[in-house]
Amino acid sequence: MSQEDPAGENYRTTVKRNRVLHWSWESKLPLECAAHFIRMRSMVDDARIPKPGFWSNWSSWEEADAQNSLGHDPLLVFPKDKLVEEGSNVTICYVSRIHRDNISCYLEGVQIYGEQLDRSVSAFELKNVSFIRKRGTNVFCKVDQGGALGGIVLFVSKVLEEPKDFSCETQDLKTLTCTWDPGSDTGLSKQPSQSYTLFESFSGKKTLCKHRNWCNWQVAQDSQETYNFTLVAENYLRKRSVSILFNLTQRVHPMTPYNLFPKNVGATNATMTWKVHSIGNNSTLLCQLELLAEGKVIQQHNVSIKVNGEYLLSELEPDTEYVARVRCAYTNHFWKWSELISQKFNTAEAAPSEAPDVWRNMKMVSGHPTVSLFWKPLSKVHANGKILFYNVIVENLDKPSRLEVLSIPAPTRSTELTLDQCSYQIHVTAHNSVGPSPASVIVISGDPGNEEVESGRVNGTEDGFSVSWKPQSGDATGYVVEWCDGPQDLPCALQWKNLGPNTTSTVISSGAFRPGVRYNFRIYEISAKRMAHLLEKKAGYLEELAPSDNPQVVMSNLTSHSFTLSWKDYSTESQPGFIQGYHVYLKPKAGEQCPPAFEKTVLPEDSLCCKHTIDNPEQKTFVVENLQPESVYEFFVTAYTSVGEGPLDAFTKITTLDEYSHILIRIILPMIFCVLIVMIICYLKHQWLKEKCYPDIPDPYKSSVLSLIKSKENPHLTIMNINDCVPDAIEVINKPEGSKIQFLGTRKSLTETEFTKPAYIYLLPTEKNYSGPGPCICFENFTYNQAASDFASCGHFPVTPQAPPHQLGPLTSPENLLKALEQNYMNSLGEIPAGEANLNYVSQLASSTSGDKDSLPTNPPEPALCSEYKMQMVIPLGLASAPPSENSSLSSTTLLGQGEHYR
Amino acid sequence: MRAQRMRRTPLSVILGLLFLSMAATSKCLGKYHELLLQLRRQADLMQDTSTLLDPYIRIQGLDTPGLKEHCRECPGAFPSEDALRGLSRQGFLRTLNATLGLVLHRLTALYQDLPEAQQLVGLNIRGFRSNIHCMSLLLRSSSEAETPEPTQPGPGPTPPPTPPSDAFQHKLKSCRFLRGYHCFMHSVGQVLREWGESRSRSRSRRHSPRRAPGDTAPSGPCRGGARRMWPFRRDRRLMPRGHLPR
Repeated sequence: MSQEDPAGENYRTTVKRNRVLHWSWESKLPLECAAHFIRMRSMVDDARIPKPGFWSNWSSWEEADAQNSLGHDPLLVFPKDKLVEEGSNVTICYVSRIHRDNISCYLEGVQIYGEQLDRSVSAFELKNVSFIRKRGTNVFCKVDQGGALGGIVLFVSKVLEEPKDFSCETQDLKTLTCTWDPGSDTGLSKQPSQSYTLFESFSGKKTLCKHRNWCNWQVAQDSQETYNFTLVAENYLRKRSVSILFNLTQRVHPMTPYNLFPKNVGATNATMTWKVHSIGNNSTLLCQLELLAEGKVIQQHNVSIKVNGEYLLSELEPDTEYVARVRCAYTNHFWKWSELISQKFNTAEAAPSEAPDVWRNMKMVSGHPTVSLFWKPLSKVHANGKILFYNVIVENLDKPSRLEVLSIPAPTRSTELTLDQCSYQIHVTAHNSVGPSPASVIVISGDPGNEEVESGRVNGTEDGFSVSWKPQSGDATGYVVEWCDGPQDLPCALQWKNLGPNTTSTVISSGAFRPGVRYNFRIYEISAKRMAHLLEKKAGYLEELAPSDNPQVVMSNLTSHSFTLSWKDYSTESQPGFIQGYHVYLKPKAGEQCPPAFEKTVLPEDSLCCKHTIDNPEQKTFVVENLQPESVYEFFVTAYTSVGEGPLDAFTKITTLDEYSHILIRIILPMIFCVLIVMIICYLKHQWLKEKCYPDIPDPYKSSVLSLIKSKENPHLTIMNINDCVPDAIEVINKPEGSKIQFLGTRKSLTETEFTKPAYIYLLPTEKNYSGPGPCICFENFTYNQAASDFASCGHFPVTPQAPPHQLGPLTSPENLLKALEQNYMNSLGEIPAGEANLNYVSQLASSTSGDKDSLPTNPPEPALCSEYKMQMVIPLGLASAPPSENSSLSSTTLLGQGEHYR
Repeated sequence: MRAQRMRRTPLSVILGLLFLSMAATSKCLGKYHELLLQLRRQADLMQDTSTLLDPYIRIQGLDTPGLKEHCRECPGAFPSEDALRGLSRQGFLRTLNATLGLVLHRLTALYQDLPEAQQLVGLNIRGFRSNIHCMSLLLRSSSEAETPEPTQPGPGPTPPPTPPSDAFQHKLKSCRFLRGYHCFMHSVGQVLREWGESRSRSRSRRHSPRRAPGDTAPSGPCRGGARRMWPFRRDRRLMPRGHLPR
């Protein structure tokens, strides 16, 4: 028994005669840090001596001083390698032999402060020390500025825990296995991990356990049934123990069953067999057989066995993977199930149990009804195995014919059939390795008929589309709702839903449905003949959105007061919501009121605007009226749905016309058109006009002068007849400049011909180019000058034979003509010097057959021999007339062009 | 730092196993230069404090200010670099072998404190000693007439480990011993590197020694101490015939 007080500790005990007393005591302060003293006294403790007794005197103090044996290290720290439990209080001290004050002490690098006991000794109390590492906590003291170092390692052990969950069991009634939870490991460098000892009180046996958490105990052969075990955990600092008392047969934990196998596995049943390790003699085990499918226990059976177990599992699904597992327990006294043993197995396949869900889509291809057949894959429950192929049997209902059978390998889920106008019954069956499924029958009429029905609308909700319909006939055997999962512009992934005959509504839901996409639903009624008739069409949006784009507006019919807007290309079907109408925005010029059909509104950017609402989505034109002439307007058209209108785009500017411009346009344009027509006509008929209005050589017969002459009855003035003159030749010398000459016969300009030399012109055929009988023609032209007639005579212009016909010169100017005549008279018979002649001659030939040049005969009139022609020319009055000579008697005025000899 | 150590550990394992396999097959490399290069690389690996000293300091809790500074090499615990240079090649190898034998023995005592690292370093040392043996054979075959030379005394203050007086002193001593070991291996690496340089000098007669690319000496674990580069005794006779550079 010990007792503490601030001054020291007292220890009291009873001693007996001849017995040596040992008192082991541990000072809180290490002995090396301070001298310790002890003294003792005694008193008689005997019943025969009346109490109270008397204490003896104290003995003298005995000193225990460890400082003398410390060695010569300059700085020492104590206690060395002390082992304590976590949470203890520890006093350490240092002894310095260098007697300096600058000594600091640290616990794991953190400075600690203590009490100086004397000049060279200081003590530090570490409270509630904690476990840091197995290699101990470093405490050291050192003289500052790199001096001596002293230190200790304080080994702080975790507190030894009482073993938890201590239990013992046997698998074979021969060996007991005791297990427990050891808790924290208290092992340190200074201290090994705690040890465990198993002690059985009835037998008095004990065993040192080799493992931290379990220990085996051999069951005695003497049929000991009851056991009282004590487990003792121990380390250097502490012992902990825990006990259990049990009956051996109540602690039987059978070993795991083995050899679990399926036997005679069919499509819907299988037999499981397994074995167990025997326990003792003739012991019975209760085994539990569990059947799992997809991780869930679907069957559980208890079977009592001795060694071999067997159980028939039934009600299994074909072609399904199952897991069977077995565990067993001791039947006499249930203690624990054994560990489980598991085994996978697959049931055999069976024929598909359900007909495939078939639907069709009909269309006309090249005039033939084409049926696209779709079917859904059978669920695993109904497929009963791997579907290998689908059989499609087509039977003509209108006329007996051979059945057409198509075998379509899985996993194809559609096919296309081209039929004629007959009705067909189509059977579809799914086949696995065992056999076919029941047939799915659908009847298709060759004449699809007019299945157009009115479209309705359907509202979308979070759950999908709630579609309802009205039955038409009472003999419907079912309904099918058909739709496409994707938007309209994508290829249709045809979906359908079969519904019973008494159903008139359903909710169509799909993960593919998206907001702002228009979905079209068709409801078909399936008749008793298995034919489908379109019942209703519905369209809807899962969630309507505002239009994403605005109509492309075309402006037309612009006047001073109105213009027309149209957006006929805007498709209301492909919008993200049902188009309810359109808003026409108009920005009038500043200060102007809105037109009557518009109302004022404020745009999002806070600008005022006029707005007209069209509540008919099919009205795609609008006339903006009552506008001011010559004014700038801005317009913008947007569609709206129940959610809102389209995005606010840029306005389009337009300026109305002024008030009179349209009138001007109505007058000026026709006038310009008429003038243009006249001009075109004039251009096309200019020759005719020329003939009529300003001919080059007027027709003497048509001349007004003629009538004048006739009226005066002047017998001397007559029109020359062609027979009156004998044709002759006229020689004309052209001047070298590129002048123009008009050929009367051809009316061709010879401007192309540049004359660089004086040239002679054959006006009448010479011996070479004319073979007529007489070379003499006379001219008379009353239209030029009346005076000229007075001097009329048949002038002879000799033509130089050497002059080629193409060297003809212009004969246009009267002056030139006069000169030419002058020269002619002065130099007869071609004696005109080249380069000096400058004669222009204009003549007209009056044909006796026709006065119109255009109607001249193709064979020109041959001049009669020695006919008299009168030359008409402008001649000065003083010019003497030359007497006719042989060479220059009469002149011919015929111009010979290329390829044309006469005119 | 920790990640770096983690990266180095597998490398040391691989090299250790490589060296071990070489020792196990008891086949020595017949080529002097390859063997020398291997020895150098092994020395570089073994001077790396992350293989032994750093884990020890960390595990023992000596990585605190005030204690780190006291984990210094004990003078005289291992042969100095100068002393190693002063030895002939055979003497150097013998000294190296003996010192590493003592280190191995001491490391065995440290097993409780540093079980994993001790095991790896033990493998390295055994592989290194195997190569020392091979080099010794190679040198001996080239110079049968070499006079025996006394072995440089191994680490004097590394007698068989005695039970430590207290755990704190034991920690510090072991720490100093490990630092001394790494320093020693650094010196060994330097000396081995000069073996190659001596060959280059003997051939080219140049003033400054050249190092082969990639054959740079890693920074050593020892602080201070100027390293003389060339006090080594030339002993060209020790070069094995047929393998020496000409």
